[in-house]
Amino acid sequence: MDWSRKIVSLLKANDICSISFIPDAVIGRILQAAAKDPYFHFTTLAREEEGIGIITGEYLGGRRGVLMMQSAGLGNCVNALASLAIPYQIPFLMLISQRGELGEFNACHVVLGKALRSILEALGIQHYTVNRAEELETIVNGAFKTAYTCEQPVAVILSTALVGWKDEK
Amino acid sequence: MINRLEATRYLVEQLSDEPVIASCGNPKFDLFTAAPNRKANFYMWNSMGMASSIGLGLALARPDKKVIVLDGDGAILMNLNSLTTIADKAPANLVHIIWDNAQYQITGGQPTHTGGKADIAAIAKGAGFKQALSADTLAAFKAALAQILSQPGPWILVARTDSSGAPGRPPKSPVYIKHQFMEAVKGA
Repeated sequence: MDWSRKIVSLLKANDICSISFIPDAVIGRILQAAAKDPYFHFTTLAREEEGIGIITGEYLGGRRGVLMMQSAGLGNCVNALASLAIPYQIPFLMLISQRGELGEFNACHVVLGKALRSILEALGIQHYTVNRAEELETIVNGAFKTAYTCEQPVAVILSTALVGWKDEK
Repeated sequence: MINRLEATRYLVEQLSDEPVIASCGNPKFDLFTAAPNRKANFYMWNSMGMASSIGLGLALARPDKKVIVLDGDGAILMNLNSLTTIADKAPANLVHIIWDNAQYQITGGQPTHTGGKADIAAIAKGAGFKQALSADTLAAFKAALAQILSQPGPWILVARTDSSGAPGRPPKSPVYIKHQFMEAVKGA
């Protein structure tokens, strides 16, 4: 099973039926793997921050959602995390596709890509990076358990070592 | 001009156990003042702009319940993109009321763009809402409310209000607010 299908199976195993996303090439592969399963509801966001609000509302109503975005998107989420999800103790997983590290061609993705973990740490959000497909099950299942038992958002970062990088020079 | 507290009191009188999301700033003060013992009230202490998105998520998770969002002009101007997402998902059970007094009231009344050229109902229509109403008087607000509470949405209602305040202050603990609200919504 490739990494994208593995992620989809782990979402389902953890009762995550709602996917809010801003796509990139990596998220696009996960969406493609999930697309044919009627279990999932998809919400295309216009800006990543909306996803924090939507997932909060879903959780208040008894439904579990995941936020999928590129590392740049975390920059758009900071205040909603800091002043909604964290103080109101809203559990969910952020699945973040990493830019700005191995194999980057675009200097404008490097700054936030490098700052990603520092921003999460400044907010007190636990984060785990998946580098190899064999780690997916442990990290994703473990992140879900910590998020929902401790009622907090947790980030899982998909490294380019796992998902590859763009061919562009 | 509509008195926002009076309109909020009228709104909650029309409701039974429907969940209400109140934006940070004055909407949450009005809601608490109008209905301090109502459990299905969600009070936002910050995350300005997120009320519309929280309302969308709740409406999608609970299609059996009518979900009411009480927003402000300054707040929705901060999350205008959410209108395009809500219009796309188009949950029939979502009612989004925007109190528009054309100012950042809580910080001293500095003008917002709705006091200039921006028209939120027109923006909502451009975002894809089929049903966006405006009301300038309490009578018009009551008439619009009768329509939007009884007919499938999603609805936007922009109510032009004055800048009176409300004395009530909701609980300060976000976790308490969450648990109380979730219990009420679960039982509803």
